[in-house]
Amino acid sequence: MIGFLRLAIFAIIGLGGAYFLMSIYMRSLRREALEKEWDATAGEGLPPRETFIDEGMAAYERSLRAKLIWLVVIVPLVLFGLVLYLMNFTK
Amino acid sequence: MTYVKWTFFGLIALIVFAFFHYNLPQHDVVRIVGTYQERQDLGDWTRIFWASPDDQAATLTNRDVQFIQAVEADGDPMVYRNEDTGWGWPPYFKFDTASLQTEADDLKSTREAPKWAVVTHYGWRSELFSIFPNAVGIYEVESPDVRIIPWVNIIILTMLLLIVLTIRAMLKQFKERSIDPVLEDVEEAWDEVEARADAAGDEVRGVWSRFMAWLGTFKGKPRK
Repeated sequence: MIGFLRLAIFAIIGLGGAYFLMSIYMRSLRREALEKEWDATAGEGLPPRETFIDEGMAAYERSLRAKLIWLVVIVPLVLFGLVLYLMNFTK
Repeated sequence: MTYVKWTFFGLIALIVFAFFHYNLPQHDVVRIVGTYQERQDLGDWTRIFWASPDDQAATLTNRDVQFIQAVEADGDPMVYRNEDTGWGWPPYFKFDTASLQTEADDLKSTREAPKWAVVTHYGWRSELFSIFPNAVGIYEVESPDVRIIPWVNIIILTMLLLIVLTIRAMLKQFKERSIDPVLEDVEEAWDEVEARADAAGDEVRGVWSRFMAWLGTFKGKPRK
């Protein structure tokens, strides 16, 4: 039981940290892309730079791409379940 | 200094390689010839090569361990230990030791009528330190010449490579977006300070030379 709790705590710390870092990284990439997009046209026909980036970031937070970051938590948990099943409950 | 550096990197590479070689699964094609159970003393440093099947196992100084005796296709003997890894390291989450022992018993065969089996295991065999690889799976095969593709290792190593590349990309992005702008600011500020110091220096030099020229007027020499 203690062993399982230890594993669970390490998993929460590790996967939580991975999710946190990944979400920061993806957000940073998106912001950079938005800045470059605005700078490429020098803002012609676009809202002011700050507004353009803020709106783009708000749209990003709602997008599927931002939600897919949950895969860094889900995939390891699925693999854990798969290993547990294949190791013990199949011949 | 170069030697120190390369020795250091060589050691790191060796440790990483040994870590993966010990923990990743490997396959042997063997003939199972027997199983036994033996009391093992766990008090010395080789404790790290035995598993901790449950919580109380961590404090025990000795306990019974199951073993699987096998002979490889070329006739070399091989002995595996058969222990639960539980929830601990390495993450095989093995709890079916008793079932595995039964399967091994079921596959026992003689030299005259051999039955071949693939034993999946991790760990090392060392006669010198009395350490044994831990068997984690077993299945029967037709002949000792089967071709085994190590899918698990391929998947694990590919994923690790992807993780390393992702971390590298993250660090690069962090440097580009968070550290470089700060450094640029510092550089600009420093340039400004230098420019101001130069200007001040010029000014002082100008004042000084005018002062010296003025002193020179007392010497009665004709001024240039």
